[in-house]
Amino acid sequence: MFNADTFIEQTTKKLASDIRGKALIAFSGGVDSTVCAALVHKAIGNRLIAVHVDTGYMRKNESNHVKKMMEDLRLNFLFIDASNEYYSALKGIEDPEKKRKIIGEKFIRVFEKTAIEEHIDYLVQGTIAPDWIESGGELRDTIKSHHNVGGLPKDMKLKLVEPLHDLYKDEVRKIARALKLNVSERQPFPGPGLAIRIIGEATPERTMIVREACNIVETEIECAVQKGLMELPWQYFAVLLPVKTVGVHGDQRVYGYTIAIRAVQSVDAMTCNYSYIPHEVLDVISTKITNTLKEKVNRVVYDITNKPPGTVEWE
Amino acid sequence: MILRISLLVLLNGNNGMVKIFVVDNGGQWTHREWRTLRDLDVETSIVPNTTKLQDLLDAKIDGLVLSGGAPRIGRDGTLGNCAEYLEKATFPILGICAGHQFMGRFFGGDVKPSKIPEFGKVQLILLCSDDPLFEKVPKKSIVWESHNDEVTKLPKNFLLLAGSENCKIQAIHHKKKPFYGLQFHPEVEHTEYGEQIFKNFVQLCEQ
Repeated sequence: MFNADTFIEQTTKKLASDIRGKALIAFSGGVDSTVCAALVHKAIGNRLIAVHVDTGYMRKNESNHVKKMMEDLRLNFLFIDASNEYYSALKGIEDPEKKRKIIGEKFIRVFEKTAIEEHIDYLVQGTIAPDWIESGGELRDTIKSHHNVGGLPKDMKLKLVEPLHDLYKDEVRKIARALKLNVSERQPFPGPGLAIRIIGEATPERTMIVREACNIVETEIECAVQKGLMELPWQYFAVLLPVKTVGVHGDQRVYGYTIAIRAVQSVDAMTCNYSYIPHEVLDVISTKITNTLKEKVNRVVYDITNKPPGTVEWE
Repeated sequence: MILRISLLVLLNGNNGMVKIFVVDNGGQWTHREWRTLRDLDVETSIVPNTTKLQDLLDAKIDGLVLSGGAPRIGRDGTLGNCAEYLEKATFPILGICAGHQFMGRFFGGDVKPSKIPEFGKVQLILLCSDDPLFEKVPKKSIVWESHNDEVTKLPKNFLLLAGSENCKIQAIHHKKKPFYGLQFHPEVEHTEYGEQIFKNFVQLCEQ
């Protein structure tokens, strides 16, 4: 059975001997990258620099949250706002694989720039097993290119360090608990962020819509869990569908987007079943989304697909 | 990948009691099979399906899992060196999904694209109550599936152990050799008695 304490001890030792000089960690503020940062920080101290890139596709209040986390962990950190660059790189792009690859490459280019300025040779990533499994290669089919694996440019010069390469999320959470990190129970959030929760072109306007919808889904589900109405899902969020339908608001016709609610139960993300959200909770979410987003969204649906045949994120 | 995994084997302090390797046929859940075995304190490693049988024998393995994978066994005949293992091995072999289909075809059965492919939750019905692979597994249980092809004709010398509504051949056992084939996926978290089935297979390998 997986033992977090043994893993921490052995991995820290190995990282201390493997990494010479400075290392940069791609820090999203999720469980994987935070655990990774804590381990590498334990191993090489302030020779580690955490870099957080705001892609413009982050959740509501994410930037403040991430800054606070990096401070709490006492990391040397850089916060880079590249949102405009990402928005223009994704302009007109509709294909999910293209989106993922553009985002993956952009991350690396930002890290490379920092690496040159700070004389850094190593790139640490919180890659876990499902990332490289689903990214495919050789015999294995590509389900989706995770930005940190399938999205890596071929000419990358930084040396990759991925201490969590063979672990699944439940094992990473065990390490987070052993290290007493607050992030341990946080729900997963994909590296490409809200860009893959918008089907079709991820414009700034659509991003604003899905960000608000995600926030409502998160808030209402967490509230329902606190009231004991349902179990906390493994992951829960909103997806914007570029499908417009007709609605009626105050005796007037409206023609707006559709939002899909997605919530699943899982242990390791390799198989998932959709969450049983009580109708009363779905009702509150639906009303809040349509009333908050008014003419932008006038229809809400609930995704009842398991994995397989679906995946958790829609893209 | 293999190097990193063998490092983890060391990290997890296996006692070397049972050694079962996982042959990678490119499945999404190959690594899950490795993890399930590791969690059962088995000494395990993922190896490519091009590994020679002699290398497996030299490694003194007690059993082998043939993973699933994207290759369409219903359309294409090859799966690395899996044929050699099935032809010559005396240790237990558990074929899963594509591994199971390949085993079925190798021993003379038919494999064809499924009329109704299964993805996700399915009810498994056991047809044979006393096979050691299904010890402590009830007659009806939930298993998860993900397949486009299936074994449509039972190979000679094989027993049919289980089926489902839309796929009659879900589990098979060679009458004379310790070889098993499963169309469903015992390695995934959502298969109710998956870990029990793996435990039973590990016991077969211990003997």
